Amino acid sequence: QTDGASRMSGLKLSGNLPIQIESDKLEVRQNDNIAIFTGNVNVVQGKTAMKAGKMTVHYANDGGSAATGSSNIERIEIDDKVFVKSETQTATGDRGTFDMKSEVLVLSGNEVVLSEGPNVLVGCKLTVQMGTGLAEVEGCKKGNQPGPGRVMMSLTPGSQNSN
Amino acid sequence: MTVRPIEVAGGAVASSGTGIAPASSREAAFDKARRHSHLVRVLKFALPVAAIAIAAAFLGKSYMAAPSAIEIKSDDTAFSDGKLVMANPKLDGYTKDNQPYSMTARRAVQDASNQGVVELEGIDASLPLDKDNMAKVEAQRGVFDRDKNTLNLSQAITLTTTDGIVALFQSAFLNMGEGEMTTSEPVQIKLDGSTINSDSMNVLQNGKVFVFENKVRVTIEPQRYQTMRQDNGDL
Repeated sequence: QTDGASRMSGLKLSGNLPIQIESDKLEVRQNDNIAIFTGNVNVVQGKTAMKAGKMTVHYANDGGSAATGSSNIERIEIDDKVFVKSETQTATGDRGTFDMKSEVLVLSGNEVVLSEGPNVLVGCKLTVQMGTGLAEVEGCKKGNQPGPGRVMMSLTPGSQNSN
Repeated sequence: MTVRPIEVAGGAVASSGTGIAPASSREAAFDKARRHSHLVRVLKFALPVAAIAIAAAFLGKSYMAAPSAIEIKSDDTAFSDGKLVMANPKLDGYTKDNQPYSMTARRAVQDASNQGVVELEGIDASLPLDKDNMAKVEAQRGVFDRDKNTLNLSQAITLTTTDGIVALFQSAFLNMGEGEMTTSEPVQIKLDGSTINSDSMNVLQNGKVFVFENKVRVTIEPQRYQTMRQDNGDL
């Protein structure tokens, strides 16, 4: 059994494709340096896509302006059921954060699922390094159980050597 | 979790209960009212005529009788069939937090009987967004309401700001006094490398808050995304 975390790779952001975001509403608040997308939020870049109920983009207050997007994005918070899909993998959770600098996506919730074909990992926290695509699922801590929580992993025989 | 607007129920308060006056004073009250309404009728007629006379007196070359907050100057004016036509008028005004805005037009037409409203053609307005950010608005046609300090632009508009936004609208309602703008027709906003499209938009608090609604589509081009990553010391 792994040490409560298992690794897969596949969820990746490619640096040279445009990012398209769709939603029902977008509110840009200059003073707070945030842009809030609400309602059927759908973010696509190449083959990677993310769906959520709400996405809040936090801009660095470095003089640029949120409305014009001239200031840089610091981090993104994603809420209301997050679904992330790439060519080979899908991941779901209740909420998520994406840190622009470290390019780390974290999905959390009481049931975070990372699946690749028939292989499924279920835990409480998924950490993905979007630059390399390395994904790590951490188990859920049940009550005062010591040590890392358990990760439910189901691997279908014969699929290990597929990627 | 969808955000629902909060409806504030407006209650109507009815006031009632007026005592019944004795007969004699009722006649007196009736006479007084009749004389009053006679006076009102006279004034109702007299005042507009007086107003036109004063306006006509002011017509001349430069100064228009306008509230101090808004001043209209124009190259030359003509007065034909109750309409005042100004060439290249220049209007200056102030927003509620005392930021100056100015507007020029190719032509302005003002109905003498309704001084507050000016129809403008070939509009070029500059509006303060905040201390170092101005918005320049160009539009074919619009109606400027001096009393309400609003500008209703009915045709295509281009808005550019000093910090680089280029916004295209099909129509827009600007409330200069409040520093707000709204449109219920498709909008496209561009800035180096990112574009926002939506079918309606509100600008509030002097350009501090932008609310896009109905089919919001945002595109962030790679080079824009790249500079973000470079600036964050990644590449």
